[in-house]
Amino acid sequence: MIKYILAALMLGGIAGYLDANWATVVNSVWVSGYLLNASLMLLLFVMGVAFAMDKNSISKIRRTGPRILIVPLAIALGTILSGLVSALILGINVVATTAVSAGYGWYTLTGPLVSQIFGAKWGALGFAANFLRELLTILTVSLMVKVDKYAPTASGGATAMDTTLPIIVRYCGSDTLITAFSSGFVLSIIAPFTIMAIASLGQVPNPLFL
Amino acid sequence: MNFALLVVPLVAGMFLGYFLREKRKVNLGKATFGIILVLIFSLGFGIGSNSELLNSLPDVGLSAVVIASLAIVFSVVLVKAVKRTAGLE
Repeated sequence: MIKYILAALMLGGIAGYLDANWATVVNSVWVSGYLLNASLMLLLFVMGVAFAMDKNSISKIRRTGPRILIVPLAIALGTILSGLVSALILGINVVATTAVSAGYGWYTLTGPLVSQIFGAKWGALGFAANFLRELLTILTVSLMVKVDKYAPTASGGATAMDTTLPIIVRYCGSDTLITAFSSGFVLSIIAPFTIMAIASLGQVPNPLFL
Repeated sequence: MNFALLVVPLVAGMFLGYFLREKRKVNLGKATFGIILVLIFSLGFGIGSNSELLNSLPDVGLSAVVIASLAIVFSVVLVKAVKRTAGLE
């Protein structure tokens, strides 16, 4: 299954590259915007149907209740800690690196936001690091699910409510739908606030990194 | 990202599924996987056509890999740690 996903990703990447740099066949927003949103909405609809038809899934959520919100908070805490550790390992600015991490995988938010606060280079890092979080989640889901049923949800971060959700549900089962979606939802909502809160802790003393 | 765009189809699907539950089981597996591949293709397309991202990768790529990998590892470890408290399994 993962080889089809990999093939689709690579074909998409090549097609997108050729379209942008060689011969424009379609306006890229038709594929990376409209087609992506349409397929995502269709998948969410189908996942909703499958979830509600499964009685076990619903009783599981009833049992868990609001405690399920502990999951995104644990992911947020883990991600922020990972930002501190990354900065120490790479020897780059701690505040900016932690702000980059605090996008939780939402690169279209983190890139522009971090760029505004810390400059274009950090914006590029914010975009790339969060995009890689999404990509690695997709590529490692079959391994991750062996570690823990909820590991792909944790890995996906904010993307667990949209782009990585279909793959998470596919590998981890219909009963993970609400956990994954609500976790991604909460992380998406707190992402801009945590980025700005972390950024307010300090200015970058040295804009040159790497 | 427009939240309504995601929540509306999900809730609509749940309503339909709720009313279908007494009916026969429907297997949506194959069709769903086809749409997943379309989603992944368009995701790849967005990356491939984003010259700004591709050009920045040689500069920030290594740092990005470290930041993304550690974020994943730390998140997984913490979720595993609170799983029981969250009432999952």
